[in-house]
Amino acid sequence: MNLEKLLYDSYGFTEFRPGQKEVIEQVLAGRDVLALLPTGMGKSMCYQLPGKVLPGAVVIVSPLLSLMQDQVAQLKKMGEKSVVAINSFMKPDERERVWKTLEQYRFIFIAPEMLVQPYVLGKLKGIGISLLVADEAHCISQWGFDFRPDYLRISEVLPSLGNPQTLALTATATDKVTDEIQRYLKLRQPFIYAHPMDRPNISYDIRKFENEKEKIEQLLRMVKNYGGPGIIYAGTRKRSQELASRLLDHGIQAAFYHGGMEQQDRIFVQQQFHNKELEWVCATNAFGMGVHIPDIRQVIHFQLPSSIEGYVQEVGRAGRDGKPSLATLLYVDGDERLIESLVLDDLPERHEVELIYAAGAEAKQLVEQGLVRETAYRILIYWRERISMEGTLNQMELLKKEKLRQASTIRQLVHEKGCLRQFISASFDQETPVIPPNCCGFHGIDHELFKAHRPEPKRDSAPSWQERLKAILPI
Amino acid sequence: MRFDEVVLAIMKAVDGQRTISSPYHLIKGKKSGQTIQDIGYFNLHPFFGVLPKLEKSDYLAAVARLQSTGMLEPEAEQVRLTARGFEVPLPTTPLNGWKYRGNERRFFARLSLIVQTMSCFIQGQNRFDPVVSDEAIQNWVKTYLHRIHFRDSVVQHEFRMQLESMLERADAASWQKDIIIERLSGFNIGGLTWDQIANRGKIFPIDAQLAAVEVLHASLAVLEEHQPPLLISLLEGVIQQSALTESAKRTQSLFERGFSLQQIAELRQLKTSTIEDHFVELAMNDPAFLYTLFMDATVYEMIHKTSEELKTMRLRDIKQQLPEASYFQIRLALAMRGAGK
Ligand SMILES: [Zn+2]
Repeated sequence: MNLEKLLYDSYGFTEFRPGQKEVIEQVLAGRDVLALLPTGMGKSMCYQLPGKVLPGAVVIVSPLLSLMQDQVAQLKKMGEKSVVAINSFMKPDERERVWKTLEQYRFIFIAPEMLVQPYVLGKLKGIGISLLVADEAHCISQWGFDFRPDYLRISEVLPSLGNPQTLALTATATDKVTDEIQRYLKLRQPFIYAHPMDRPNISYDIRKFENEKEKIEQLLRMVKNYGGPGIIYAGTRKRSQELASRLLDHGIQAAFYHGGMEQQDRIFVQQQFHNKELEWVCATNAFGMGVHIPDIRQVIHFQLPSSIEGYVQEVGRAGRDGKPSLATLLYVDGDERLIESLVLDDLPERHEVELIYAAGAEAKQLVEQGLVRETAYRILIYWRERISMEGTLNQMELLKKEKLRQASTIRQLVHEKGCLRQFISASFDQETPVIPPNCCGFHGIDHELFKAHRPEPKRDSAPSWQERLKAILPI
Repeated sequence: MRFDEVVLAIMKAVDGQRTISSPYHLIKGKKSGQTIQDIGYFNLHPFFGVLPKLEKSDYLAAVARLQSTGMLEPEAEQVRLTARGFEVPLPTTPLNGWKYRGNERRFFARLSLIVQTMSCFIQGQNRFDPVVSDEAIQNWVKTYLHRIHFRDSVVQHEFRMQLESMLERADAASWQKDIIIERLSGFNIGGLTWDQIANRGKIFPIDAQLAAVEVLHASLAVLEEHQPPLLISLLEGVIQQSALTESAKRTQSLFERGFSLQQIAELRQLKTSTIEDHFVELAMNDPAFLYTLFMDATVYEMIHKTSEELKTMRLRDIKQQLPEASYFQIRLALAMRGAGK
């Protein structure tokens, strides 16, 4: 089969991005595949194209609602019509309609908690599945920074789907996590494709300051002297708002973005960033998904990320176009204390474990009563079905140690005396990368490269509604 | 109207008779018997449900401002305006919350996606990220665009002209119209967030949101009156045929088939008091409601007379004067007064 022709006929692209072809060939040859591809490298093409030729449907298990919606939107934008997303937020009549017409769909996105329901399994089995895709497969790792217990159940349902061929996709995985993915998804002698994680066009820098005031001043310098488009990860919602208003005071086109905003406002910020009406977005880690902008020149961390995986993911949004991009982490002594408390906040606490084990079938009510948090509930319900309370408490202890270890990796990164690129690669068990020009703070960065070429801001007053309407509909 | 003025307008109506939190529930559009019956008693139809996502903290901030400017007595459980609060003149408003029931949002979502689609197609961009993610809206818009032949430049031009004329005619200030158009997006033009709009106009975000609702209500009234051919179908399912809640509608149809209040309660397995709420709602919306099925005309007259003499809408005060009337009868009679106006 001529894959290039298929790619062109299906989506109008003339060539594959690195890794895509290798993965697609193996998928079409019928093998289980584990693909490690950095975000923004067109992971979804690895199942999209096979979906065009395989006889049955492609089922994509996706851990996050927002991610799922984004992928569906992207597929539709590429002209793919037979796409559907099944999640627990659908209205009953909507879901009913989907069940009735399920066999019409080629790409079925589904949340893991839906996939394990017997009724859903029956429906899926009825239509014939050619390929099961576990997207963000690292969520299967209970040690990972976004563990989703429901992911562990995927392997339990594979037999009732007739053991379809499986494709596991992830952007970030250490050797340990890669092993776990293979084991838990029961991959059969999989073909493993690991794209080098290193992004040679990104320069890594870490700046340390005595106090908060200096940190903000440095931020303002970076924003004024070196250009955007750029993202500032602010840590908290409140911080993202404060930083955006500081930037606006200095005449920089900036806005904030966080999960507490209404959805329409979040879409507007994405639109403006996309259109270059905005140069900077000050955000929590809620920003990123659904942002498909190749020329982000700077990512600045105003707060420490809570894991090295999170850091790599956020930094990786810069420079998708391959051009030089700058990633700067601003640090003040003591920043890691906030991170440690944030990291541990997510973990189930002892009293939650005890309540869940004592509650029997009514455990869900504990969440409604506010006694157990939703995240803790999900994790604990999984373990309660499998091991004793003592076992779970041990498990939580181990998890806590692991989380602290991850947080300490970030601390090590901050205090690393050598090459940052090498440090990052090593923490993902990758081979030592070649040192590119402008590698990192240790090897030296020529900041002249990133000098802002900002046109004088136009200070015209806001248009009247008639003028704006005419600009939107120029006809 | 600014948000504080909306709160003040409601407070003027319920002064001394309702708690401080009752305007909050009304503005949010809480569908409780109490809130719905208050709309009729106090003629608060314009404000029902105009800001369904209103945060308690934003409301309390407005209350604090009214107190600190000496319009509202501090620290009272009940709403008690000062003389000053009563004297402040309030602007008229195109708000019509009871009629539109928040459906103006569906209208605007359709409009946003239609405008974005046309904007992109006019400028040769056939692929874009839709500004509205709701699939039901997307499907509706797809069918609509197809039906009106939206790629035809004559249609596109006509659409803009009708939109412009709708806004010209809408009974709202031009700064408010600016806001609603800033919430639209198109090719290479992003919509503005509430915070951005508020910053630019030096107003509170909540005032910007309220201004948008006012323009929408005013626009819907224009569409209903002038029926511009391209825009009129955007009202499909937006304007409710009946002002009743779903549950009251079911009670109404049973009542029309001859069932008594008691029987309806049994049939629907609901409390008698709930069914009574429904009747109060029916009475409120129907000036010709046959109240004589529930009380003598003399009792009805007495209730109104007592309410006027005592200058109160409080059930307990009226009941004290008229022990022979039931609470239900008093509520029904008072609701009729609102409907008669
Ligand atoms: Zn280096």
